[in-house]
Amino acid sequence: MEKRKTDFRAIVRAYGTIFALVFVIVIFGILNPRAFLSTTNFWNITRQMAILCIISLGATLIMSVEEFDLSVGNIASFSGVLSALLAISGMPFLPALLLSIVLSAVVGFVNGFIVTRFRVMSFIVTLAMGQVIYGITYWLSDGAIVFNGIPGSFKVLGTGKFGPVPYLTVLMLFAIIVFQYLMTRTAMGRKLYAIGGNETASRVAGIRVNAYKTIAFTISGAMAGFAGVLLASRIGSASPTGGDAYMLNSYATIFIGKTLFREGIPNVLGTVVGVALFTILANGLTIMQVPTFVQNIVTGVIIVFAVVFQKMGSGRND
Amino acid sequence: MLIETEGLCKRFGSFYALKDINFKIAEGEIHGLVGENGAGKSTFIKILTGVYPKTDGRILISGKEVEIADPVESRRAGISVIHQDRNLVPSFSGVENIYLGMDTPKRHGVSIDFKSMRKNIESVMEAYGITLPLDKMASELSPSQKTMLEIVRSVMNNSKLLILDEPTASLTDKESAKLFSLIRKINADGTAILYVSHRLEEIFGLTERITVFKNGQLVDTVNTSAIDQGGLVRLMTDNWVSRERDRSHSSSGREVFRVEHLSTSDGIVKDVSFTAHSGEIMGLFGLGGSGRTESLEALYGLREKSGGKIIYNGSPFDKPSPAKCIKNGIVLVHEDRRGHSLVVSRSLKDNIVLSSIDGYVKHGLYDVKGERADAEEKIQQMSIQCQGMNQSVGELSGGNQQKAVFARALMTKPELFLCDEPTQAVDVKTRQEIHDLLRKCASEGSAVVYVTSDLKEMLEVADSITVISNGKTWERLENRNLTSEQVLGYCYRDR
Repeated sequence: MEKRKTDFRAIVRAYGTIFALVFVIVIFGILNPRAFLSTTNFWNITRQMAILCIISLGATLIMSVEEFDLSVGNIASFSGVLSALLAISGMPFLPALLLSIVLSAVVGFVNGFIVTRFRVMSFIVTLAMGQVIYGITYWLSDGAIVFNGIPGSFKVLGTGKFGPVPYLTVLMLFAIIVFQYLMTRTAMGRKLYAIGGNETASRVAGIRVNAYKTIAFTISGAMAGFAGVLLASRIGSASPTGGDAYMLNSYATIFIGKTLFREGIPNVLGTVVGVALFTILANGLTIMQVPTFVQNIVTGVIIVFAVVFQKMGSGRND
Repeated sequence: MLIETEGLCKRFGSFYALKDINFKIAEGEIHGLVGENGAGKSTFIKILTGVYPKTDGRILISGKEVEIADPVESRRAGISVIHQDRNLVPSFSGVENIYLGMDTPKRHGVSIDFKSMRKNIESVMEAYGITLPLDKMASELSPSQKTMLEIVRSVMNNSKLLILDEPTASLTDKESAKLFSLIRKINADGTAILYVSHRLEEIFGLTERITVFKNGQLVDTVNTSAIDQGGLVRLMTDNWVSRERDRSHSSSGREVFRVEHLSTSDGIVKDVSFTAHSGEIMGLFGLGGSGRTESLEALYGLREKSGGKIIYNGSPFDKPSPAKCIKNGIVLVHEDRRGHSLVVSRSLKDNIVLSSIDGYVKHGLYDVKGERADAEEKIQQMSIQCQGMNQSVGELSGGNQQKAVFARALMTKPELFLCDEPTQAVDVKTRQEIHDLLRKCASEGSAVVYVTSDLKEMLEVADSITVISNGKTWERLENRNLTSEQVLGYCYRDR
């Protein structure tokens, strides 16, 4: 009797999120097969996933060392505005992209440096840094949405396609492969997970904890900056608050991802499933013409369920 | 009988951690519980204290069957426990910690009456002759003070049974003696004591009866006066032969490590000097609070150094960091196994290769096969008992966890071992294995700095001993016909 109960729990815990994903797809498929299950919509969903996914991958690194980077949303907004302004001033797309990513990486590095050098909580440091970045972005953009004079070349990466496949989808796949490799098949990935498991023991074992944490923050900043440019490129304008909403969503996807594959530990494939669940839900609800506030409620409820499922069954034997 | 268990079983999956335990403890008795690591002592305590539910069997308190579903019920039934890694809220004062989970006296039925709480505690402390700074946060107390605090808590709770699980693991001999007299006093007032320890002298000195666990089963309960140490060890283990130390090893070789006038910024280490030679085990002996752990931490770069010279293999090594130490063949086995050594949530394999991760990067690729092969080899070599290298290291017994720590150390091919209480809370067999391993490493040319608070062990293991007291070291003593009185003589003197 007790054994069957644990089995049920184990199944829910291991595959609950996948069930949820399948369930969502089936429901939308039944409710509106023509619009939801079309090829066009499939590629559309993957394109919608890309920006959230790229931010979340970077943040997954931060979560794997048990830290937070709450400035990713502000960094994305900053980077979008900066790249748009550079493009308007006549800089070609690629240099504008690279410059924005590098500056975002610098912000991430500063985050990491402060957190590790002064041993302060990343939660508060990055929250404050987010405010600083927000201020700078506001200053750069005069508080307005930047769109006048953005050249067409700026919008190519965000809107272009190889046949039916959006560039963004390809970029996302590439990023997923790189991060999956990084976390599972490199020395750095192992060290990050070790640090997340026990920072003190990792330090005693000779791992340069501060250096690796700082690298994680730097990569997270760079990815947020990259996503910010892609966002501006996709919608053809840059708002000083355009990326802000991605912060909460990216952490939600990582929490959902923690329920999958490697229980309780942030992992790349789990994050990707989390991103898919989020995006498909938003996509389906939009197709069903459900008001945005309902979407907020539904996504919030899903996060709570994901966290509860993760705790189920693991609660007793520790 | 105060507490009886009948056919008590605990199963994890298909594995029996406890099988058919028929245990009895009488009112007012001091009862010892012994067994190797993994024998089931901790599981048994966790069932009595409501941490684990039992799988089968009955528990009777004063003849009445009870269900102990959670720690609160256990406490209500009059059972208190003091764990080796204590159970206090670090940021709470003594008063707050003692009243944790108890009904607090209230003024006007609302606000907490700290004054009368304090008065109640002080009267208990006075009755037992305990002095404790009640205003300090628990995190500022010494291990001995923390134990005392928990004892006061259990007395305030009117416990009928007090369980002590390795209470002396981090206490000095003097502190232990104080603890024992306190235990006897509490016992004289009618509280039964269940005393769990690896230290057999303590068991013999304290208890009236001893129960022996082996592989999850109760082997026997004997009267302490009717058995000797050898007999008890035979009950505990299947095949353990106590060995005399082999003193025929070669004399020590070249100087590997020299420390001159080391001090730390926090003032704990004041003036530490010693040398460690290839081929020898150099004992660094001191009582609790003497600065032995802090010295090793400073040498390994875990604690800020404020002065002194370190010479390693003939060159200055003045700015140590753990990464630099590992790279240069210095490894620290920290006394705090779960906090400072193991990544408890990760697998045995991940823990074994933790210090040598960089060695598996070949042409930008990670050599997963090589890593597994090395881990497997070390598991065999150290005979680590596990369900496989992917088992989480937190599920292993204390002795096997410590072997994993040593396996990791060996992976870095160290020339200098800094070992801090490496045999703390491990069973006799593993302890011998660790001694043998270090002796072998020394004979192959490594130097070993060995810290233990167990003087008998120190005299058994070390080739030479440097005594540290109050953050300062004395001259080196060759361990030939050295007596414990001689060593202790240095400990109680201030240089």
